[in-house]
Amino acid sequence: MTIVSAPAGSGKTSLLRAWADRPVQPHRLAVMQVQRDQQDAQQFWLALLSAVRRAFGTTSGAEPPAATPEFNGRAMVDRVLSELEDHPGRTVLIIDDLHELRSRDALAQLTRLLTNLPPNAHAVLATRRDLPLRLHQLRLVDELAEIRAEDLRFTERETCELLGASGITLSAVGVALLHQRTEGWAAGLRLAAISLDGHPDPERFVAEFSGSERMVAEYLLAEMLERQPEDVQQVLLRTSLLDRVNGELADLLTGRPGSERILLSLEEANAFVVSLDPERTWFRYHHLFGDLLRLELRRMLPEQAPVLHRRAAEWFVQQGQAADAIRHTQAAGDWPDAARLLADHSFSLTMDGQAQTVRALLRAFPPGTDYPELALIRAGRSVARGRLDEAAAHLAVAEAYAETTPPDRQRRLGIAIASLKLSLAARRGHLAGVTEQARFLASPVTGQSDEDIALGNDLRAVALMNLGTVEASLGLADAERHLGEGAVLARKIGRPYLEVRCLVQLGFASKIRPFATVQRRCREAIALAERYGWGAEPMTAPALITLASTMVWTGEFGEAERWLRRAMRALQADTGADIRLLVHSVSGMLQACRGRHHEALQDFSAADNLGSQLADSHALAGQVTGWMLATQARLGMSGEARAVIAALADERASSGEIHNARAAICLAECDPAGALGALRDVLDGTAPVVGYVTVVEAQLLAGLAYRELGDLRAGNQAAERALALAESDRLVLPFAMTGSRELLEALPRHETAHAALLADILDVLHGSAAAAEDQPPPPDAEELSAGELRVLRYLPTNLSRPEIAGELSVSPNTVSTHIRSIYAKLGVRDRYSAVQRARELQLLSADRTH
Amino acid sequence: MRGHLPAPHHDGMDSAPALYMIRINGHLGAILLSAFPAMAPHHHDAHTVLTGRLDRSALYGVLAEIDALGLDLLEVRQLEPDRKSPGSDDSCSP
Repeated sequence: MTIVSAPAGSGKTSLLRAWADRPVQPHRLAVMQVQRDQQDAQQFWLALLSAVRRAFGTTSGAEPPAATPEFNGRAMVDRVLSELEDHPGRTVLIIDDLHELRSRDALAQLTRLLTNLPPNAHAVLATRRDLPLRLHQLRLVDELAEIRAEDLRFTERETCELLGASGITLSAVGVALLHQRTEGWAAGLRLAAISLDGHPDPERFVAEFSGSERMVAEYLLAEMLERQPEDVQQVLLRTSLLDRVNGELADLLTGRPGSERILLSLEEANAFVVSLDPERTWFRYHHLFGDLLRLELRRMLPEQAPVLHRRAAEWFVQQGQAADAIRHTQAAGDWPDAARLLADHSFSLTMDGQAQTVRALLRAFPPGTDYPELALIRAGRSVARGRLDEAAAHLAVAEAYAETTPPDRQRRLGIAIASLKLSLAARRGHLAGVTEQARFLASPVTGQSDEDIALGNDLRAVALMNLGTVEASLGLADAERHLGEGAVLARKIGRPYLEVRCLVQLGFASKIRPFATVQRRCREAIALAERYGWGAEPMTAPALITLASTMVWTGEFGEAERWLRRAMRALQADTGADIRLLVHSVSGMLQACRGRHHEALQDFSAADNLGSQLADSHALAGQVTGWMLATQARLGMSGEARAVIAALADERASSGEIHNARAAICLAECDPAGALGALRDVLDGTAPVVGYVTVVEAQLLAGLAYRELGDLRAGNQAAERALALAESDRLVLPFAMTGSRELLEALPRHETAHAALLADILDVLHGSAAAAEDQPPPPDAEELSAGELRVLRYLPTNLSRPEIAGELSVSPNTVSTHIRSIYAKLGVRDRYSAVQRARELQLLSADRTH
Repeated sequence: MRGHLPAPHHDGMDSAPALYMIRINGHLGAILLSAFPAMAPHHHDAHTVLTGRLDRSALYGVLAEIDALGLDLLEVRQLEPDRKSPGSDDSCSP
């Protein structure tokens, strides 16, 4: 890694540009410049990722990096790392103006990126001041090169060369004076060269300059400005307050045409103006230069600055660049207007992934004064952080204010308020509230401007998503329709984040559909999420766990476990109870099938607990309670189980699932007759059931009871009925959970019409039994990265970590990071186990190529 | 009777404004001086000395501006309240 750390104007950017533009470039270059005052980590990383993608030309295949309101820095760093690892050949990552990155999170994430760079990647950073990047490790291992101010200073000879290249002739004495006065400072020399170019008396200029004690930059800037024609001066001064400028905007600020030509010629004259795009339509001033010009503007035309800021703000509003517009409105000191703009745009800015920008803009308001519009934004941020009561309080303030505004603003504010109320109700799982707000928002969009229409569409998509999500968590039929509509709309308006959320929830909501449909929907949602790099995000958890659950039902326990682990990794503290319930119940089902009843009980109890937090109508909660009771029975805890049943409300106690549980208790107590009695209502269809799977279970329990009673024929008939019911979905789970292996084995092949299914089920049951007798089967290992595999190969040797680092030509830190990741992915805690597991998974076989 | 209690010793910076003197290499002209409206300038030899009453935020604002403009910072000194230990001689003249 290389760091160029030197003050403003030392020539860092010129150095990097000159190096990058060499005619023969053996490396691939990913170049980015940090935006001025960048407080938004997500914006920084999106720009970096784009730069990396451009370098590799991978603009097809993967989606362009999309913003999300839920930014995960860790996942983003992993994405960048894997892009770098995937492309062999040397890559250089160039980040300029790193001191402008004000987000501490982003700096911490960047540190992680830099200490984990693959061997084929090199990073070059340019900054004005040393940053808290914690790179001591690299320094110690000689992996860090530093270029500092001293190195960038021009020598006298170099000064001479610079002047010569600019076509300036100066005596040796003159050159020496110039060098001495500027102390070899690049910016000073460049400014001097501009003034000297075509100067009638260069020697005198240098003599005067040398004799002055004013700051070099100021003196030379004033000189340079003075020599420019008036129209150029006006352009320079008036556009200095912009971060970037194009011809049109400059014309607007100067009040006359022709600015583009002036900007182009300034760039050509190397006067600290650079173009930002290949078409040379947008320009930027060197920061130092721009800062000085801005000071000069305020000094010479003090009353102009606010006027110019306002004009720029209006222009940005028309261009749909809300953040810039708000910044300029704030700079003009028009705080009420800025508050209004921020309130109107905070929603779409957040959807664009600029939540941190919104926060920065919010913080820029002077303390002490309060603008009621800002309550709306504060409410939004409170919801996002899960502080629901706080959000409600802010919303109340916003609503009170909205009533006092003129009608057209009232409509706009009303929409924004409704969308926040919707999010709030959704977070609380409050269906009535959600429905009410959604009705308001889903009404046809009657916008006047394009902006209005876009905002309206955004709101409608968010409304549909929230409504569908809440309906799904309550198991309501409308969920699928709303989520489907939401996904289609989100795709149309280009909101990938919303599209993924809708599809994920759609998979989750499809639980009553045939498994094939459910699996298809879940896989589609997960694939889309992965295309945007969100495969491990919390938002995918519902789809991951739903997919896992379908696989458990059909007996694909290994696959199910894999998806379960992914779902568990994607959980967060505030994941909804309904998702967590499903996770626990899937985990419980897997444990039960493997005969690990203690662990199963733990999971089912946790699920049952969560179920009590949800509405009574929740389907899965009923099933889970039944399984929990049956497991208790198997573990000899019949007393506890009966007590739980006794405490249930009548409605629940008479459900088919609880009848089954009673039967399981009877069987555990060697009372087959009692079991048959408990099952009667389920078998004859009078007891309400969650689904037909409960009836399958009941048939199997009856079959087991008959066998106990010695009535083998009745047992076989029950088993056959169970198979018949299970045939269409090819269910395996009930057979595994009720422990019906012997029952099935006793069924003669010629007496069943479902021989194929029977054989499949028995295969699975035998496989699980075998697995249960060994150590708990470890989860299938997640894919190890190329770097991790390289380190893995050294684990069986007795080399220490630093020695492995030496072998691989990386830093010991990198090796440690890889080893930590290897242990996590293999589910082990020490080197020996890692090697064992790796051997099991055949990761160490010699013929694996990379 | 109360014993004599020692005066409370403040380790951190107060947020109350204090008088600061900041010395910069070179002479700051009108343009650059306009970046420091809260400070009074004084040219001293080849340096510029800025003096002003600043609270903590304002002080760091000034330092940030010096950094942004690429100025050569030589010295930052707090003149009042006097924090030197008793007994040492001190000259506070700018």
